[in-house]
Amino acid sequence: MTSPQTPTPEDKHSPPHSRFVYKLDRSAIMMIVGVILLFSTSIIVTLVAPRFVDSTWTSPSSPYQVQMYEIQDPNVYLSSVATGGNELQYVHHLKQDFTLLSFKESENLRFVSPSELESFITRFEEKTLKLTSRLLMLREPEGDMVAEADKLRQTLQKKRPLEQGKIPQMGLDKVNYQILELYDPQVTEAFSLEQMGGILQNWVDENYVVLDESSKHPYHQDYGVVYVKNPREFRISPLRFGAEQRWHYDPAGRPVKNIEELKSPALGFFSRRELIYLGEHIYAIEGCWYCHTDQTRTLIQDTVLNGSDSYPAPPSSANEYIYQKITFPGTRRIGPDLSRTGVKRPSRDWHKAHFWSPKTASVGSIMPAFQHFFDDDPRGTGRSAIGIPNHRFEAMYQYLMTKGTRITPPTQAWWLGKDPIKTKEIIEGQRTLQ
Amino acid sequence: MVTYDDRPAQLFIYPSIFFLIIGMTFGVFIAFNGFVFPDYFSGEYVHFGRLRPVHVGSVTLLWLLSVDIGLMLYFIPRLCGTSLWNPKLALWSGVFWWLTLGLGVNSYPWGTNFGWEYAELPTWISWLPIKFFFAVAWILIVINLFMTIANRRFEKLYVSLWYSMGTLIWTTFTLLVGSFAINWLPEGISRVNASWFYIHNLVGLIYTPMGLAIAYYFLPKLANTPIYSHRLSMIGFWSVAFIYAWVGTHHMIHGPISQWLQTTSIVFSMWLFIPVWTVVYNLFATVRKDWAKYLQSAPIRFIMMGNIFYLLTCIQGPIQSLRNVNEITSKTDWIIGHSHISLYGTFTFFAIAGIYQAIPVMAKKPLWSTRLADWHFAFNLWGSILFLLSLWIGGFLQGLMWANWADGSSYAEFHNNLTRLPFLQTVADTRNWWILRGIGGLIILFGNILFVVNMFNTIVLKQVAQLSTPRELRAAT
Repeated sequence: MTSPQTPTPEDKHSPPHSRFVYKLDRSAIMMIVGVILLFSTSIIVTLVAPRFVDSTWTSPSSPYQVQMYEIQDPNVYLSSVATGGNELQYVHHLKQDFTLLSFKESENLRFVSPSELESFITRFEEKTLKLTSRLLMLREPEGDMVAEADKLRQTLQKKRPLEQGKIPQMGLDKVNYQILELYDPQVTEAFSLEQMGGILQNWVDENYVVLDESSKHPYHQDYGVVYVKNPREFRISPLRFGAEQRWHYDPAGRPVKNIEELKSPALGFFSRRELIYLGEHIYAIEGCWYCHTDQTRTLIQDTVLNGSDSYPAPPSSANEYIYQKITFPGTRRIGPDLSRTGVKRPSRDWHKAHFWSPKTASVGSIMPAFQHFFDDDPRGTGRSAIGIPNHRFEAMYQYLMTKGTRITPPTQAWWLGKDPIKTKEIIEGQRTLQ
Repeated sequence: MVTYDDRPAQLFIYPSIFFLIIGMTFGVFIAFNGFVFPDYFSGEYVHFGRLRPVHVGSVTLLWLLSVDIGLMLYFIPRLCGTSLWNPKLALWSGVFWWLTLGLGVNSYPWGTNFGWEYAELPTWISWLPIKFFFAVAWILIVINLFMTIANRRFEKLYVSLWYSMGTLIWTTFTLLVGSFAINWLPEGISRVNASWFYIHNLVGLIYTPMGLAIAYYFLPKLANTPIYSHRLSMIGFWSVAFIYAWVGTHHMIHGPISQWLQTTSIVFSMWLFIPVWTVVYNLFATVRKDWAKYLQSAPIRFIMMGNIFYLLTCIQGPIQSLRNVNEITSKTDWIIGHSHISLYGTFTFFAIAGIYQAIPVMAKKPLWSTRLADWHFAFNLWGSILFLLSLWIGGFLQGLMWANWADGSSYAEFHNNLTRLPFLQTVADTRNWWILRGIGGLIILFGNILFVVNMFNTIVLKQVAQLSTPRELRAAT
């Protein structure tokens, strides 16, 4: 057995052992050193250096993004225990000196309070939103406050009489006001019922004031903050359902003791952060990312594909992804791009129908059906062990709703035409990139 | 005369041929069930997203990487003139290899996908640390081969040994980055960047050097002629070593990654013309002395066609990385075509040629049927051409349709374009190309079944007495 070799013509002219190439030919060590040297240079420049050179690789896109992922998601809990059915209950974990609360009156919702809490209420038609990190909550008036509430109601009703002749026939002769009492529950943490558990959170970045004497948490000093509006305690009472012991939401019930009880199997709450990461995991194992890209590229067609009727979607930036354990930029766009799904398709019902049967929900689609996301049937009436029916669907939905919704605060969002990088001007050729 | 213990090589090569068929069957299945009759067989464990990684994992890891290792175990001792350093260790690493990879790759439908492309192997399956075992098996092979090279009898290192040593180092570090280090990086684009580095190096620094080592060893063997230029092959080797690790970011062109990094990757991608030119010319010049051999031997045809596909893939690669070309081709079926021409058209063709030469030598019997080998080549070539062309054309047309949305000068016009030609319409318009792709895949699969039959009979059947020693065996001895 011989190895194939070629005698090179130069061999005849100079002593072969002195030439560099000859030595290289024979030295495995030199070869290994050379390979490692070249390889490590490229690793340093292309893998290690960029994140120190480009701050966008690690720094967040906006305080809203940070507050959504770090302040809100871990403290918003979801479960269907309160309704027992398909509808989810959103509960906010309030913490003294951490969660910012606002008590804002509206036309028909007014508050009464002991005099020392008066200053926390943002009165109707008051311009500046008052926020506090003191843990206060609202409830139906109790004790002394009942009389006070009645007084307030009568004053208001006198001030604004009903138009004559319309409603009195229906047995109503006065404007109905809901009067709640602001009280101090004397606890450091509590759970409030989130009336509108949505994709976007309450956010304020102008005309607001934090009433704390000193700043209690670094995020309170950002140029805008997420806050919880008009919290009312999440109270539960037992409910017998055949032989089964269940719990349901009951304003007259008892408060949830602590976070352990909230997360216990009986109540079955999961935080939105847990659901988002579960969604990311499902996205990975189902292989969604083989057919869907997750990047709006700096191409007109991408900004148009992901845009709304009036505004193009801004291209993805590196810092959109910093809260993902796995990021799925994708190689192939068999289905449409998902990086702006939270804006393009916010409807939970649409996603539910689509995952159940993509071919009927969007005609011409070749996407497989994901009926295994649902416990029993598409209406989702079945109960799963973890307290959230169709928890795989819910996790996936929560994950998808983070896409494109958290780049900028909702007050400066691109879908309102306030795109900070002016995508529209760029693609229409009115503005050139620097 | 040294006697070579070929059991480790056999342990890697024989099962890998089986997995070639399995992996391709999965490929054909998803080509039809995903695209031609979308979701006909539907459900949690058979939908496209769960089976695609099984196809990719089977053909990349269970077939191509395994057969490449098997062939290295075959030719490295022969090039060193010494037996494998520790055949027993190699057998044990083979057992480890098949257990962990076989389990790992086939577990994806049950939800173990790690979530990074080409690195889907799960960290754990139950209490089995799959990825760790995989790394251990690989490192044992690396040690074994390096020790064999250290103990070599021939001082001069033939180019196949260069490429093999390079790949032993590169693969080790690339696997480390893609499977483990990716979890230690900051979340977001840093991980994406590492993932592309891994993905591209898997092709550029694992399959390319392994494939070239195989071509450089087996072509002279099959053609019974020395390689045209050793010097040229070394230019190729060092340019591969210099260039490939820089180009990973070209998968993210126009994406949310730093522009300077994109530009760097484009520049280095253009330089890829250097190594491909050296290889293609070198292999052609080797056969040029006697073209009759091309007609006589299917394995030589496999190498030369692989060589042409290699030229094509390496022309595509740099050009696709140009920003304006990338705008059309990226994220379309063109890319799928590109990945298949490199991993199938080039490196699988090389590996098949290697098997045609190695198995008769290891079995000490001539090839069962050279006619079947001719048919195998014909089916592979024509199947591949149909398969690749339909992906390229279909993908390119879809890319053009997407680019159509950018016609005009105002957002109203752009949006109007999208309304007239919705995304789903571009999917519907691609269907005919998908049908052709599926048919191409079927033809290739059929050809490879002939190959398996041929190899099985070569290994298992008794030698027919009157057969004269075939060309392949003569060339080998």
